[in-house]
Amino acid sequence: MPTTNTDLIDRYLHAVKFWLPKAQQEDIIAELGEDLQSQVDEREAALGHALDEDDVAGILKKRGSPLKVASGFLPQQRLINPAMLPVYRLVLKIVLCWVFVPLFAFLFLGPVLTFAHPGEMLLRCLVEYWRAAFMTVGMVTTVFALLDRYQVKFKHADDWNPRKLPRVPGTQDTRTRWNHLAGAIFGFAAAAFWVFLMWQRSEFAFSGGTRLILGPVWKQIYWPVLVLTLASALFDLLSSLYPRWTRVRSRVRIGIDVCGLIIAAVLLKAGNSVGIVDGHLSAADLANSVAWFNRMIDWNVIAAIVIVIGEALHEARFLLRGKRAKPAAIPSAT
Amino acid sequence: MHTNAVSSELFDNLRLELRRGCLVVAVLAQLYTEHYGYALRKALGDQGLAIDENTLYPLLRRLESQGLLVSQWREEEKRNKRFYRLSPLGEAVLPDLLDEWRQMTASLERILGDRGLAGTAESGGPGKEEK
Repeated sequence: MPTTNTDLIDRYLHAVKFWLPKAQQEDIIAELGEDLQSQVDEREAALGHALDEDDVAGILKKRGSPLKVASGFLPQQRLINPAMLPVYRLVLKIVLCWVFVPLFAFLFLGPVLTFAHPGEMLLRCLVEYWRAAFMTVGMVTTVFALLDRYQVKFKHADDWNPRKLPRVPGTQDTRTRWNHLAGAIFGFAAAAFWVFLMWQRSEFAFSGGTRLILGPVWKQIYWPVLVLTLASALFDLLSSLYPRWTRVRSRVRIGIDVCGLIIAAVLLKAGNSVGIVDGHLSAADLANSVAWFNRMIDWNVIAAIVIVIGEALHEARFLLRGKRAKPAAIPSAT
Repeated sequence: MHTNAVSSELFDNLRLELRRGCLVVAVLAQLYTEHYGYALRKALGDQGLAIDENTLYPLLRRLESQGLLVSQWREEEKRNKRFYRLSPLGEAVLPDLLDEWRQMTASLERILGDRGLAGTAESGGPGKEEK
């Protein structure tokens, strides 16, 4: 059956109608149909003969695709208020960080504890990361879309004080941020290493039958060391995200250092924390070896104590001076 | 070639932004007298302000929903057509809008004049006169 000009226009209008809001469909289509017909009439009058199918198709093509035509009549919609986009991006970054870091610890340390295959661990990490990323982005976006949908106003967006704006970051802040990030990475790696090395271990067996026997103190300090290392790493990560959080940072760092000193003191107090079993050594050589080994451990612990005390004093000095937390003075406008 | 395409696209976007506000003023001014869509487009085009159908019809509906226009369906030349004209609110708003437009044009002319960029359509555009 040949296609008539009216057929083409009707089909075009029907396609446009599909995209239009129901309440306005008939009205808009009637007006568009009238406009197209006026255009056809005018062309026919100018040419002096009826338009053929190609001419009408050309008019429709020039008008644009049905979706494009319909989109002009649709309300201007948006998912998120453009003014809120910077806040959206910031919230998304923070939430993703809060989700990914514990997820990393859970996914990484879990298989280490159960001695699962590294490939399985990696695959599981990737799957869980994708799932967590989709869920996080979806939830944050939904919250912001709802805020925009219900026109929630943020009081602080208008009620702000130029004097309370954060001071301009200098190179010192950038360096501090990278230091904390490096500290976080090192801390998480150290925690993983501690778990891998010491989990439910009472001795180290070496070739030749030599065994290093761990004293009961190592079981006592296993969890405190792990928790403190993870806490320190997490805190370094937070410090890299919030470099201006200086006073809180100093206080928490001092707290972590004090806990570290207590653990070190427990280890020192326990005394001979390691024993050696070796059938090839004489009793005197064995006693010397054990003494030397424990002395080395004690000296290392003492060195760690000195470093930790130095760090705690450094933080305490900043706290006492209180200089870091003070914003730069803004000259008065008057 | 690529630079030309980019600058052409940029120019089109700038032109669209420039025209957007002007079209509202032109449509409102033209609808002091009643027109239906196609006739309005022709009238604007005849006066040198060509407007795309896909811009005009949504604009008419928006202005009507804002209360600046009123419309009614009526039969003319054996076809139903929707006729638009200024509403009382539109008649009240348009003079203020035109005042704003004139002030803006005058300011712009002064700015362009200060920099030797002022020109007329007849002279081929800004700055052409001085070349």
